[in-house]
Amino acid sequence: MKLKLAVYWTGSCGGCDVSFLELGPGLLDVLPQLEIVFWPALVDAKRGDLEKLPSRSIDVALVNGVIRTAENKEMVELLREKSKQLGAYGACAHLGGVPALANHAPGFTEVVFGPGFRPASPWPEAPEDAPPALLPEALPLDEVVPVDFVVPGCPPPAGLIARFFQAALSGEVQAGQVFAEDKALCEECPRTREERRLTRIVRPHEVVPDPKTCLLDQGMVCLGPVTRGGCQAACPQAGMPCTGCLGPTPKAGDPALAMLSALASLVRAGEEGEDAFPQENQILDSLVDPIGTLYKYAYAKYARPLQRLARRREEVRA
Amino acid sequence: MPETRARIGVFVCHCGKNIAGTVDVAKVAEQAARIPGVVYATHYEYMCSDPGQALLKRAIREHRLTGVVVAACSPTMHEDTFRKAAEEAGLNPYLVEIANIREQVSWVHSGPAATEKAVRVTRTMVAKVQGNRALRPAELGVVRRALVVGGGIAGIQAALDIANAGFDVILVERSPSIGGHMAQLSETFPTLDCSQCILTPKMVEVARHPRIRILAYSEVEEVSGFVGNYRVRIRKKPTFVDPSKCNLCGECARVCPVRVPNEFDRGLSTRTAIYIPFPQAIPSTYTLDVQNCLGILPLRCGKCAEVCEAKAIDFDMHEEILEEEVGAIVLATGYELYPKEAMAEYGYGTVPDVIDGLEFERLLSASGPTRGEIRRPSDGKVPKEVVFIQCSGSRDPEHHKPYCSKICCMYTAKHALLYRHAVPDGQAYVFYIDIRAGGKDYEEFVNRAMQEERILYIRGKVAKVFREGDKVVVWGVDTLTGKRVEVRADLVVLAQAVVPSPGTAELARKLRVACGSEGFLREAHPKLRPLEALTAGVFLAGAAQGPKDIPESVAQASGAAAKVIALLSAPKLAHAPEVAEVNEELCSGCGICAPQCPYGAISVDEVAHVNEILCEGCGTCVAACPSGAMTFRNVEDEQVLRMVRAALEVADVGV
Repeated sequence: MKLKLAVYWTGSCGGCDVSFLELGPGLLDVLPQLEIVFWPALVDAKRGDLEKLPSRSIDVALVNGVIRTAENKEMVELLREKSKQLGAYGACAHLGGVPALANHAPGFTEVVFGPGFRPASPWPEAPEDAPPALLPEALPLDEVVPVDFVVPGCPPPAGLIARFFQAALSGEVQAGQVFAEDKALCEECPRTREERRLTRIVRPHEVVPDPKTCLLDQGMVCLGPVTRGGCQAACPQAGMPCTGCLGPTPKAGDPALAMLSALASLVRAGEEGEDAFPQENQILDSLVDPIGTLYKYAYAKYARPLQRLARRREEVRA
Repeated sequence: MPETRARIGVFVCHCGKNIAGTVDVAKVAEQAARIPGVVYATHYEYMCSDPGQALLKRAIREHRLTGVVVAACSPTMHEDTFRKAAEEAGLNPYLVEIANIREQVSWVHSGPAATEKAVRVTRTMVAKVQGNRALRPAELGVVRRALVVGGGIAGIQAALDIANAGFDVILVERSPSIGGHMAQLSETFPTLDCSQCILTPKMVEVARHPRIRILAYSEVEEVSGFVGNYRVRIRKKPTFVDPSKCNLCGECARVCPVRVPNEFDRGLSTRTAIYIPFPQAIPSTYTLDVQNCLGILPLRCGKCAEVCEAKAIDFDMHEEILEEEVGAIVLATGYELYPKEAMAEYGYGTVPDVIDGLEFERLLSASGPTRGEIRRPSDGKVPKEVVFIQCSGSRDPEHHKPYCSKICCMYTAKHALLYRHAVPDGQAYVFYIDIRAGGKDYEEFVNRAMQEERILYIRGKVAKVFREGDKVVVWGVDTLTGKRVEVRADLVVLAQAVVPSPGTAELARKLRVACGSEGFLREAHPKLRPLEALTAGVFLAGAAQGPKDIPESVAQASGAAAKVIALLSAPKLAHAPEVAEVNEELCSGCGICAPQCPYGAISVDEVAHVNEILCEGCGTCVAACPSGAMTFRNVEDEQVLRMVRAALEVADVGV
């Protein structure tokens, strides 16, 4: 019996669809065991074909991309209904991803599309030439439908894809499973950590990092300590700080707040104590684009409670 | 079968009128009884009283309580009381929490809102205690030996007291001899007994004591470990003289061609490169000061070794690093005088006849450079007019030190009085801001100086001191008459501020002991724990903690020694188990936590480890840990979130 697989993209760059090729020759072992029932990027199938499938007839469905439009929402609800197990594949479906940073700029359609932006009316009256209506916020998959498991990453690294297929093909995907490590990726990172202190903050293009020592110690805001391992610290190994695509470790909570707290703990300007505060604040203030840096992928998932709080505060004040 | 469902008891204390006068305590108990999980709630006039504790114990037994919340005063007051009571009733003490409805409610609020807040605070602690785990204190052994740092009178007293109680003591002194500043003093106020005469018997006792090991000319290099189990690295500088062979004949010093300022005489005399600081020095031996010796490597002089009949001089002596284990540490590093070079208004220390108090002590001392005759440094004349300036550098927050150095009023009175004894036809003036003579027989002593010795006390500050011919001109103001005063003096003595001895801050850092803003070692509590540092097992004695006279230093040293003896006598030490804990399943070993720890309790290899004994439970690492692997026992994230929800719940609290 082949595994009936569906793969669908919502608000996505397409990288996740391509990422399966990362398996390389391993793909040749996996493919014969799959029956692809729906995968718009790969095989021709339309919404109507999916609707015709019996309920729960798909073994595993993978959704990549953020839920951005009314159409995205309808499609994943449909997939949910047709699938035994539904997984978030990639950072956008998992956490909201880069596209969800738009939530930080309400009214962005005006800026991006100009005042003439007119979304289409809802399905099935939608005209061919108009984009589907936008949801008020870009959402991670689990805000829309129940999600059984996560294959994280931007895009998911080969090792984790392989681990997923191994589990899926033997029918061993656990409810709530995240195909990554519980420990942060510092565990896998070969860089050495010596004096843990942050005396400056630099952006990757500003320095040529030392190849051996921890990037955080060199002033780069590396989200490694707050991010699940599973990628073999691919970015830090290549001299780029981790941006957190595998998502926060299980107990980290909001990764941006956790990292901010860590940065505030690490910052040092001269002798410890109150006298150093102004200078230490200056160092922390030199973090350019804190939201884009610390919430690069996780803004939709974690900043929403904060946004709700902010809104509530506005209401209470009013 | 153990009880799995929570059975919480809530006890609301009236604290007489302290709480009940503001908070409707009956209402708080009534509302607490409605919280899910609470099976018993009551209120009582004084929960901390014996009947109050009996009530708690009875309820724990009768209602098979699995947790207790006492809504009362601050946990710093009676948490221990109630935890011990609960333990006696068979409940793990760490399942008892205090809801502070006094300091945080009744004392700061009024009206019905106070009762509402009391309910919320109580409910919050009920939410917390439901997540608490039963904990056991960690136990550890004790190395029954103490280290005393500093060989002044405070260190000597502490070492003697500890050793006399039967414990071994290592006494580390930086200079070649113990004795400290007290050895330099002439006579002591208010009794005018000779300082060396009362000090040297103690020094001899230290030297002879079988349980005291003196490491002079040595410094503490590194301290690791924790209360009961400190490891200390001590750097012992080479003296190049074998003390067991040296017979103090002094031939070496007689042939030594080097002359350098004598520190013991505050530079008022010179010494040779091989020297003994003063005749009664302990350890009783000469020391070769390698910095000023003409040269050991290569040997360029060697005259001292040639004349040494005892063959005590060994040019091959090397620095030693000693590793010692001790259970407790007393810091008695003492004071130094604020340098007169810092006194712009008094000539930056460039006027030879402007000296500080310790220099004057040496002039007064029978063993001093003038054999007790008062002769001024510039030309050796006997000064006929001497001005003493108090608060020189003290009580001057704008330019110098803001604090009162405490001992200057008394030693200035003593100086002036001893001067009048030595030079009966001389005139002494004392400029002062206030006279602070708050000690036994101190006020009488100052009055004696003022009245019997006709010393002229002028209330006012000195604006300027400068040299004119062979005179030192002092310009000041008498604030009682409002007139300007000019004294053409022969000698000016500055009662310089007392500051921590150099190296105090560095030593404090090595021991992770806090220093106050002025650099003195900080005690754990200014009133109730004046003898201890916040770091467990480290105690403070003498002027290192703040300006002190001899009786106070001795009293504090004996107090610190008593604390050390109590610590070293305990069969086992217990350490509160409410500390940080690493979830090794989650820890990636990123190491962000380790440098945050003020107690050095965290080490990191593959994962972080918390030394349960060193951890004082401050929680800094928990906040820093980005992955949530570092947690705090009985203050887990889930607990805190439950507490926040309980505190902020919008639902009516029934008040």
